[in-house]
Amino acid sequence: MSYDDKIDIRKLNIWFGDKHVINDLDLKIKANAVTAIMGPSGCGKSTLLRALNRMNDVIKSSKTTGDVFIGEKNIYENGTNVYDLRRQVGMVFQKPNPLPKSIYENIAFGPKIHKTAKGKALDKIVEKSLRAAALWDEVHDRLSDSAFDLSGGQQQRLCIARALAVDPEVILMDEPCSALDPAATAKIEQLIRILSTDYTVVIVTHNMQQASRVSDYTVFLYLGDIIEQGDTKAIFENPKHELTEQYITGEFG
Amino acid sequence: MGSQTKERILFFALGVPVVICLLAFFWIAATLFTGVGTLSPEFLTTSALKGGALEMIVGTIYLFLGAAAIAGPIGVFAAIYLVEYAPSGKFTRIIDQAINNLAGVPSIIIGLFGFTLFSRQLGFGISLMAGWLTLALMILPIVIRGSEEAIRIVPKSFKQAALALGATKWKAISLTTLIAAAPGIVTSVILGIARVAGETAAILFTSCVIITRGLPSSPLEPVMALSFNIYVRIVAQGEPPESVFGIALILFFIVVAFSLIAIILRVYYRRKQPWLH
Repeated sequence: MSYDDKIDIRKLNIWFGDKHVINDLDLKIKANAVTAIMGPSGCGKSTLLRALNRMNDVIKSSKTTGDVFIGEKNIYENGTNVYDLRRQVGMVFQKPNPLPKSIYENIAFGPKIHKTAKGKALDKIVEKSLRAAALWDEVHDRLSDSAFDLSGGQQQRLCIARALAVDPEVILMDEPCSALDPAATAKIEQLIRILSTDYTVVIVTHNMQQASRVSDYTVFLYLGDIIEQGDTKAIFENPKHELTEQYITGEFG
Repeated sequence: MGSQTKERILFFALGVPVVICLLAFFWIAATLFTGVGTLSPEFLTTSALKGGALEMIVGTIYLFLGAAAIAGPIGVFAAIYLVEYAPSGKFTRIIDQAINNLAGVPSIIIGLFGFTLFSRQLGFGISLMAGWLTLALMILPIVIRGSEEAIRIVPKSFKQAALALGATKWKAISLTTLIAAAPGIVTSVILGIARVAGETAAILFTSCVIITRGLPSSPLEPVMALSFNIYVRIVAQGEPPESVFGIALILFFIVVAFSLIAIILRVYYRRKQPWLH
């Protein structure tokens, strides 16, 4: 793995019951950059994403073989602490999912369960995370309000702040803007670009324009196989594979 | 006949059972209310040895509170297991069916079971403890089903969010799902109480006696209860119904109060659960 690769996926295979969803996949993801995973519905994008924080383990019918190295550690090795992995690799979901608690308690949830801070130190972490997610100015005076009082876009930024609060190295985003209006989407896309300076961001997206706006590298996934990958600009301007070109020009969704 | 007329007829037809229920409720309340003259603060707080109702009121309360304290936690944990941990398969289906069956067992049989197991075999005799355990069996299916329902309607996204932050399965459930389901769970316990507060057959030979010397000093002593007292007066002592209307009114009031509390709680917490809309 070269020094600027953060994630190294080797011979990854994932089944849900009998369905072979990810097919002998190899992929390297660069550190401190935004990598977009693109492809038509049902091609395995979310499954691939969830393999990176082992959230597929939660699904009873799933079976995974292969190795995924994050940094130097193989997260599929026997004896891996899955709970610490999920702290290290944060996830933001398609539909914002704030916890039924106050804004403060949402952000504090992660540090509390990992026992990383309490009291004033926790207050500082909450502020730092909300600032990093560009939400502090809008909520600093109402941290004890319910998270459900926020708008959709604010809730999604809350979810990002919540993931940041446990000091991750990688942030996974599964179509983070698909449930948001254009104004909220723009704010989050801006945020994603800023986050990539400190974190490795992997984003699944349906929206090609978004992929080209937001990502440095793009991976085109089709039915569980990688068809093409590389510099985002290069892929969009000069796709090498016919399927990629068809997808980009909207011949299939 | 036009479809609008049909709609109107249907609307009123569906309303008839509701009206019947309301009429029955108010007729019962009104009949019992004729006995309100026998009730006075002195009557409610004086010992039975002096002709008062203190021990039976307290006995009834002790019985349902203790039974709820036992069935509550067991029922909630059973519900959590069934919803979150039980593998889908034959064993789980059998448990499910068993819970439904338990709910359908006539209370006299539960009383008989309680008498045989708790009173005789475990040696509790005719006591508060035997009553608690027997009544707990009746509350249990209500708490399990109600809690299951309350847990199931909590969005799975809360648990997912917690898991993605590195929580263990139990922490994810207890710190998000359970807290969100708490109002529904509490409501189910209160409904369970409403069910057994007036129970007679189950406590008939497991915990009640006609009269006690003051309040019980330990759970191994027998108690008096409002429902049991009504039964004894009418059946064993041959008194006319009117003579027990006062006591019946107290019991009626307790049961209705708990049902109302359950409804009010449900309405109140609905507003605090924005994810339900």
